[in-house]
Amino acid sequence: MEFEPEIVAFCCNWCSYGGADTAGVGRMQQPPTTRVIRVMCSGRIDPAFVLMSFLEGADAVLVTGCHINDCHYIDANYKTKNRFEFLEEMVDELGLEPERLRLEWISASEGEKFANAIKEVTENARKLGPSPLRREGVL
Amino acid sequence: MSDTIEIGKGYIAWAKDETTRGKGASGGFVTALMVAALEKKFVDNVLVVKKKGVYEGIPTMTNDVEKVLNAAGSLHSAPVNLAKYVKKSGKVAMPAKPCDARGVIEQAKRNQVDIENVFLIGLNCGGSMSPVPTIRMVKELYELDPASVVSEEILRGQLIFNTNDGEKAIKIDEVEDKGYGRRVSCRYCITNIPEMADLACGNWGVPKDKFGNATFVQVLTEKGVEIFKNAVDAGYIEFESASEKSSKMREKIDSTMRNLAEEWHKKVFSEVDSLTSSDRLAYYIDVFKNCIDCGSCRKICPVCACGDDSKCLQMEYEDDSYKLSMFHMVRLLHLMDSCIGCGQCEEVCPVDIPLTMIHRRFAERMQSRLGHIPGMNMDTPPFYEVELRS
Repeated sequence: MEFEPEIVAFCCNWCSYGGADTAGVGRMQQPPTTRVIRVMCSGRIDPAFVLMSFLEGADAVLVTGCHINDCHYIDANYKTKNRFEFLEEMVDELGLEPERLRLEWISASEGEKFANAIKEVTENARKLGPSPLRREGVL
Repeated sequence: MSDTIEIGKGYIAWAKDETTRGKGASGGFVTALMVAALEKKFVDNVLVVKKKGVYEGIPTMTNDVEKVLNAAGSLHSAPVNLAKYVKKSGKVAMPAKPCDARGVIEQAKRNQVDIENVFLIGLNCGGSMSPVPTIRMVKELYELDPASVVSEEILRGQLIFNTNDGEKAIKIDEVEDKGYGRRVSCRYCITNIPEMADLACGNWGVPKDKFGNATFVQVLTEKGVEIFKNAVDAGYIEFESASEKSSKMREKIDSTMRNLAEEWHKKVFSEVDSLTSSDRLAYYIDVFKNCIDCGSCRKICPVCACGDDSKCLQMEYEDDSYKLSMFHMVRLLHLMDSCIGCGQCEEVCPVDIPLTMIHRRFAERMQSRLGHIPGMNMDTPPFYEVELRS
């Protein structure tokens, strides 16, 4: 059976979840690999959530939020940006491929951007194969 | 005695009282300073390491001058970190190795300590030793009975153990080539002079005629001036300005130590450095497999301040089937900007995971990316920094 990656996408309630919605309403083709987790704000995403996603078996994690300066909560996505830097270094030092982690700013109208991000992340993960942090055995 | 005490200047100082001078290392300056602070009610308590023989010390908060005098003198094989023993209770003076001082500052950032009330009497530090390997070293390398040792000292690059029958000295380089000596984390530590403390004291740079009987003191803050002045006014301490030559000598020793530390850094880190990224992941999975979830590393860490409700504990499930434990993932993440490399986690780990080395691997790359060195000043840890939209 061909390997099909599992991707966790964190979407904020106000922009990128809307973007995902737009992608669906607009019938933009995208691979069915994503598990979307809706959060009120990308600033709510603790880096530990992302690490836990990897340990739970995600092959790639996509973090999305409103564009900088467009945050519903004024400046919370600055926190996302700050914490993402920590995650980048963490993933790199752990020895995971950096392509498995991605940050995208997606507004509610950018359905195509969302669909493309999913396509690219899936394609990358397919090339890389299963994550070395995937759990073994029957889950 | 006409000299005034100024921030940034170096002084050669010693205790006036002869018994204090004899008891303490390098002229008993630090001991006299603390005694004066206590007796003149300049501070409420002092934090000292109570000696329990040559191989053990217990941090004690006290206002008893007798106890301070008994704690005088250096103790290299009691690698405790004092940061978590400081409480928010009145004014405290404490001797502090660079890692103690940095720990206290990190605790203060996390609202555990009131930094205005803590007087950090910094001590130059070339490293400390673990008690059990030290006892083994005394037995195997020095061929002495560990119980017969009455004192130890480090002088001119030599590690000396004194017994009642005399002393035995071996060069530190030689000791370390044979696998004994300082803790691994001390070998590659580059912070030898506590520039973040209020005073920086040590025997580096003391002129030859006074060597062993005086301390080179660098005054670093206004608090440092106050506690120094208090002891001088009370007549416990005599001092003179340090010459240019003394300061140069001190700097030279510091830079030699730094270079040595950088070489050790390469040696200690080379094993993991040489791995490919996928092998590195396999290495981390392999070492963390040994963890028995005792939580000692979290408890001892002089930076951590969450207590029992910490995220690293909350996100950890002992019966998950994760390849790496969330406990360590959260700790690595939270310490990336704040790890001071004190080596306590490695010290207490019952299954000998090289935790300090691993934490430093994550921390060094993040700290250099951020341009942030933790424990040096009261700057907010970058993980919590929120850049507000103007």
